[in-house]
Amino acid sequence: MSVSTHRRASGATLRGRLEGVDRSLPVWVATALAIVALMALPLAWLGYMSVGAEQGTTFGHYREVFRDEALRKALWHTLVLAFWTGLVSVALGAPLAWLTARTNVPGKKLIRALVMASFVTPPFLGAFAWVMLAGPNAGLLNRMWRDLTGATDPLLDIFTMSGLVFVVTMYTFPYVYIMLANTLALIASDLEDAAAIHGAGRLGVALTITLPLVAPAIVSGFILAVLQALALFGSPAILALPAGFHTITTQVWSFFHFPPKVEQAAAVSIPLLLATALLLLMQKRLLGRRGYATVGGKGGQRRTIALGIWRYPALAAVFVVMAGSIFLPYAVLAKAAFARAWAQPLTWSNVTLANFTFTLFEYSSTKAAILNTVELGLATATMGAGLAALLSYVTNRRLVVGHQLVAFLALAPVVIPGVVLAVALFIAYTRPPFVLYGTLAILFVAYLTKEMPVGYAQSDATFRSIPPDLEEAGRILGAGRLRVLRDVTAPLARSGIIAAWCFIFIGVIRELSASIILFTPNTRVMSVVIFDLKEEGQFGAIAVLGLAMLAMTFATVSVVQAALGRDVLGVKE
Amino acid sequence: MPGVAIKDLARHYGGVAAVDGLSLDVKPGELVALLGPSGCGKTTTLRLVAGFLKPESGEIWVGDRCLSSPSAVVPPERRRMAMIFQSYALWPHMTVAQNVAYGLRFKRGLPRAEREKKVGEILRVVQLAGYEARYPGELSGGQQQRVAVARALVVEPEILLLDEPLSNLDANLREEMRFEIRRLHEEFAITTLYVTHDQGEAMVISDRIAVLERGRVAQIGTADELFHQPRTRFVAEFIGKTNLVDGMAVKPDAIAHGPLTFRVASDTLVPGAHVALSIRPHHIELVAPNAPKEDGVNILQGSIERASFLGETVDYQVAVKDSDLVVRVAAPAVARLRPGGLVGLRIPRAACVVLAEG
Repeated sequence: MSVSTHRRASGATLRGRLEGVDRSLPVWVATALAIVALMALPLAWLGYMSVGAEQGTTFGHYREVFRDEALRKALWHTLVLAFWTGLVSVALGAPLAWLTARTNVPGKKLIRALVMASFVTPPFLGAFAWVMLAGPNAGLLNRMWRDLTGATDPLLDIFTMSGLVFVVTMYTFPYVYIMLANTLALIASDLEDAAAIHGAGRLGVALTITLPLVAPAIVSGFILAVLQALALFGSPAILALPAGFHTITTQVWSFFHFPPKVEQAAAVSIPLLLATALLLLMQKRLLGRRGYATVGGKGGQRRTIALGIWRYPALAAVFVVMAGSIFLPYAVLAKAAFARAWAQPLTWSNVTLANFTFTLFEYSSTKAAILNTVELGLATATMGAGLAALLSYVTNRRLVVGHQLVAFLALAPVVIPGVVLAVALFIAYTRPPFVLYGTLAILFVAYLTKEMPVGYAQSDATFRSIPPDLEEAGRILGAGRLRVLRDVTAPLARSGIIAAWCFIFIGVIRELSASIILFTPNTRVMSVVIFDLKEEGQFGAIAVLGLAMLAMTFATVSVVQAALGRDVLGVKE
Repeated sequence: MPGVAIKDLARHYGGVAAVDGLSLDVKPGELVALLGPSGCGKTTTLRLVAGFLKPESGEIWVGDRCLSSPSAVVPPERRRMAMIFQSYALWPHMTVAQNVAYGLRFKRGLPRAEREKKVGEILRVVQLAGYEARYPGELSGGQQQRVAVARALVVEPEILLLDEPLSNLDANLREEMRFEIRRLHEEFAITTLYVTHDQGEAMVISDRIAVLERGRVAQIGTADELFHQPRTRFVAEFIGKTNLVDGMAVKPDAIAHGPLTFRVASDTLVPGAHVALSIRPHHIELVAPNAPKEDGVNILQGSIERASFLGETVDYQVAVKDSDLVVRVAAPAVARLRPGGLVGLRIPRAACVVLAEG
């Protein structure tokens, strides 16, 4: 009797204690730990390896790489490439943004769609296309030039620094466009009218009001473009190496040629990482400071500037730019895909579907690569969107101690160039406790890490738009946190999460710079195979794979547009 | 039906004490308004009671259950409460019926048919029968508000929490909904905490009002008590308009302000003590200059500085002779006096309320 009373009493206190515990806590803690592990392990190895010696620590690797004449040259080429890419991207992106945001240029929708197409086109595909277009000997444009003029010298040589800057810029200017178009869309005309009514002339308004308001966006677009150029591997590898020079990324890659010099690679990677971080910090500062709240003022009407007789010339100028990034490259890829010999005119006898059957069905290495890419894309996008959703939920609702650190870690890969990440992952996962090298898993981890910022930023914006009181209303009526997540939050966040999934998928299928270091013969992906086929001169197969990649990309983009109800350029960064 | 007891509650927000030693007793079935300016801690208090926040010190009891203490907080879903949010927090992806029925999903053993019946009944009570299949986005602000009310009432909570539920409505509808909420309270008699910054709303709706100042209860009482016997300067100024007069007690029932002497509604003052008076504008009567002295009535002389016609009353600012005082007087709009004119001010002793805490 007394025993049973006692048991009942202790049962009641236990239940009383459990009543105070949030049962969902383990989920949040596990989520936070996952991101810490994902980020911390490779970066710690990278730092350790760059200063590691037989005994103790050393700065010998740093000394060694920075005394190396070849490396110093590569560094200089990288800086030249990045600077000019930034500058030309602003020169192209800014007027384009102004045209579509503020003027009555015809075909705005088409222009935006074309900018979006340049944005999602893998730069290395563009580089291949331009090799076919403007290679000094066989390049189609050069042949046409010779045929037309009878000259013997080529008109264009893509295997030069200026050729490289041109091709990289063609796929980088959309970053400037996005920053600026989104800012211009927020500046209400009444800010400019206010200056006009106080006596400023047309030029005065532009110089004293509009320009200062958009200046942070322009500079920050410049920085984003520079960052892209710094981190890029594919285009320099395709264009700079034949031209006989290296950039930092191709130099890091060459350290992995047998025998691999991992320590040197790590020692080059760390400064590249720091430079990227510094530039991004500058960009954040720039955007964070001046009162962007005023730019977001409500009720602002945006007046359209009439271009008059310049409407169609402006459109023509836009098409010239788009010829460089879309029309010509896509045309030459399509031609190469359907031609027996890509350099010959497309006559009936030259048309064939053999490239498709060969690449998609007969050639085992391309077939395997397509399957690997799709598999990795699906797995990474699903895992990544799920993890990003959980992470951004944790940080938005402040569910764990140190949620600021979680947010920082989720966004941290932005500063890690693909090759640097690959070096870090190579070091971390070729030794215990986790030996993943040689499996698809290491690529999966690389993609998951690299795409985390995109997924996180998208789902963060999604959860930000769901007021917490919608969840609280469910809680107070009797639903636990996980139940509210299922009944209220998930349905409202669905389209945002789908978009995050798509962004990650697009990023994965085009990834080259990390894959090129981490792949092994059994784990090749489409981008790597495209790169390898170039060595074999298989332009037909490259074109088919490239078109397949573009088809997957644009299909995914259209899913995003359906989910979000707007185009993909509407997002900053 | 249980009441709520809040004991010595404290909670900081970003280094600032939002709630700072707040104690409050809500009797079973009572509706208490938490009234105060923004930043006084009223919403934080409500969120602490709801279990969304954990207190740093103090306890919250409902009946004989301790729901919140620094060591343990019963999560919101197990507190048997309901809440109406300032934004209404209606789920945009659910219909009116689904919104209202949501809380009933967690009532174990309630058959589906019973659930639907309850939803139908409560929607009739809030006059939204026939709107079951609509989505919140298809309703007007007032209708959304009614859905929020229905969703909270249908679960028959032990405690009902309201966070400025009328502040998003336009003025006319707000007035109407005040009476509606009071009517529903009288019908269901649920113990209720009602947060508002609008004193008129608090006066119409609540049984008692707790005026909050810097995270504590400055005074709690009926609207009548707060208006006629404010204990602090803050309460006197926050509830209605008033004239505050600082002075020094000269007799148990009189204070001096410069050369002026006021007979006051108290006879327990300690001579020499600093005290403050609250005199409501409508308790002051304008009389002819040099009106005769009366027993138990203060007569002052002054000149009119400004007169503002407000319709039913005229708001006068009168500079009192031989002093720095300018008093506000609310007089009937029958006789209009002009600025510059001399008047007498007749202030009954009972109108001079001594504030307990200067």
